[in-house]
Amino acid sequence: MKKIAAYAGLVLLLVPVQTTLLPHLAIWDIKPDLGLVTAALIGVLAGELDGLLVGLAIAWILNLYSAGDLWLNLVTTGGAGLFAGLLARQVAEITPTIVSIGLLVLSLAGGLLAAFSMKHATITDTWWMVQFIVLPQACFDAAVGAVLFWFLEQRFAVPRFGMLDRYS
Amino acid sequence: MVNVRSPYGARRLALGMFALLLAALLLFPGQSQGLLEYLDGPVGQVVRLPLEAVSSIDQGISAMWHHYVSLQQVADENRRLKQEMDWLRGENNQLREVAAATQRLTSLLQFKEQALPSMVAAQVIGRDSSNRYKSVILNKGEGDGIQKDMGVITPAGVVGRVVKTTGATAVVLLLTDPNNAIAGLIQRTRDEGIVEGIPQGRAKLKYIPLLSAVKEGDRVVTSGLVGGFPRGLAIGTITTIDREEGALFQTAELVLEVDVNRVEEVLVIQTVQGPPTEPAAKPEGGAKP
Repeated sequence: MKKIAAYAGLVLLLVPVQTTLLPHLAIWDIKPDLGLVTAALIGVLAGELDGLLVGLAIAWILNLYSAGDLWLNLVTTGGAGLFAGLLARQVAEITPTIVSIGLLVLSLAGGLLAAFSMKHATITDTWWMVQFIVLPQACFDAAVGAVLFWFLEQRFAVPRFGMLDRYS
Repeated sequence: MVNVRSPYGARRLALGMFALLLAALLLFPGQSQGLLEYLDGPVGQVVRLPLEAVSSIDQGISAMWHHYVSLQQVADENRRLKQEMDWLRGENNQLREVAAATQRLTSLLQFKEQALPSMVAAQVIGRDSSNRYKSVILNKGEGDGIQKDMGVITPAGVVGRVVKTTGATAVVLLLTDPNNAIAGLIQRTRDEGIVEGIPQGRAKLKYIPLLSAVKEGDRVVTSGLVGGFPRGLAIGTITTIDREEGALFQTAELVLEVDVNRVEEVLVIQTVQGPPTEPAAKPEGGAKP
């Protein structure tokens, strides 16, 4: 119950941070997708099921404040939580560098899916989006995710995955 | 706490759920999303509280910054605005004369007068949660009579169109978004076209007839034919015209009248009176079929 309340609080907090505060910190009009980063970190820290469920909840709530399609947000953010959890089990030790590489890949995959499913977009528009939105955002997500993971690791002494744990 | 002892059951369950979700979204897109959209209203009311709290703090800080700290260029701006005001006063007098003449002619031709639309004022409390869409979030929603497809303006011109609402908020797709399209009219030549956003954050007027004598500097306004806008609201000014060899239409790039990235307060148009439908006085003894 405590966990559900914590997740609910986190999701509620994400909305004002993502829609009101982050636009002030945007670089070249690009802000990190905190929903995707949070879902992926929960996937890494609490397992793929938690990552998927929290990712879906975040996608749904954040979609209320976006002009985007609901299905796309559900697939990209929910998928990020799930695959982050699954990928985290395949590495011997999780470090901020590993988290940033994983987030780069997940954000890039989600961004490319969104860019190629954009209605009324020409090839030139899609390429422009990949170059100036998807790629910078993936880098931004990777950096923010690595910093957050490092902070969590320092503050809460999160135990790292080990080979022994993996097979236990 | 890292959960490394997750049994295969949880992994299977997560993968199964994701597969089920994908299947539901692909096979029954309307129904599966409709269920979640049904819950949007009550959830929107809950999420509104932290959103409005953070937004009011943000606006307070922003107002303090703009009113007390960032005052470096105010004197220059003041001087420029005074000059502009003098020039506008002169123009206003001329326009009054033109308006009076138009009113006389309108009554002579028995045109139906265009009623002013009813509007509701709203504040911008946030921006789109993703980078892929250019939209803003308003602090008014269905509870205030705002519905999908209503037009959104400022006194300077068109801002965008409402695309999503909850009980307490509304999402406005800006003119600069490539998914937005508004019927436009070139004020001087009376040629119609469609104003669309482009990914670079600007807008263009498409489908201008090839024979149109459009030129740079022409102003574009709403045509009032479709969408939630009455006729004659300013959209922007044409900066470049693209006449491609063999193309059926011309395309023009616009500088928008409103800087949609900095807009803070807007007006949502609730009812629009369409263009006059009543025909002018019938000529006596008109042609018979």
